[in-house]
Amino acid sequence: MRLEKCWFCSSTIYPGHGIQYVRNDCKIFRFCRSKCHKNFKMKRNPRKVKWTKAYRKLHGKELTKDTTFEFERRRNRPERYDRNVVQNTLKAIKKIEEVRVSREAKLWENRMKGNKAKQIKEDARELEQGIHLIKAPLAMQEEPGLTLPTKAEKMKVKVSISKQQKEHSMEE
Amino acid sequence: MGGKCPHRRVKKRRLANKSARRAKFLVKGDDAVYEDLQKPEDERKPLPIDEDLPGMGQFYCLHCDRYFANISIRDEHFQTKRHKKRVKQMQGPAPHTQLDAELAAGMGMPDNGPKLQDTIFSMSF
Repeated sequence: MRLEKCWFCSSTIYPGHGIQYVRNDCKIFRFCRSKCHKNFKMKRNPRKVKWTKAYRKLHGKELTKDTTFEFERRRNRPERYDRNVVQNTLKAIKKIEEVRVSREAKLWENRMKGNKAKQIKEDARELEQGIHLIKAPLAMQEEPGLTLPTKAEKMKVKVSISKQQKEHSMEE
Repeated sequence: MGGKCPHRRVKKRRLANKSARRAKFLVKGDDAVYEDLQKPEDERKPLPIDEDLPGMGQFYCLHCDRYFANISIRDEHFQTKRHKKRVKQMQGPAPHTQLDAELAAGMGMPDNGPKLQDTIFSMSF
């Protein structure tokens, strides 16, 4: 018994799941669920649909070339049963999974590296450009109490919801 | 018994819808067309004479998988936007296949083991 992969989203299809379509040129298309089958019928390209594995690999969202991918294969010649081989394989599976997960986490970290700095920069720009929406420029000139925070000092705003407000919202 | 037979017009309409849907179903897949195009010119099969197809099945567009009544109509088709779009698409990267799906899922290339021919030869000698 084989665990097949979905043609569209590349997820694993366990026995008894999904649907199989055999075209009149003997090509077999397997789908893990009706979502994938429908997308295939709509003639969508999995490389252009963001939630598929094919898209994510193509756009560098996930590991592409990795040695941990060399183990799972479509083997068309059955392996002769050997107790020792089975034991070693079972041990190896756990270790390989660990390695793969750690590599994936590293990749994700690298991908997300510059995001925080970018977000802070964007927020600062928004504040600078939109401060007039909170306080009129003329009022700012008269009383420069509300100034843009400099880099050295951090702004902390305490958020407190009074008890009355809370009760009011509960009633609604 | 039996009701009024639907009018010719109604029948035509129903059948037209059915044939359109059928045609959509019968159209060749992108990957099949792509494979055919990759083959060298002389390896392609000569077009057999088929009475049911337009133009006896002699005027065929490989890219769009369509038959035409005569050569002039086919050449006209070659000038259309739809055909040109299709040609451009077929010149691009190969369509998605099951193998691509498996590679994307984190599987390696298929493993067929050592060649059987060698083992048979070594056993016989």
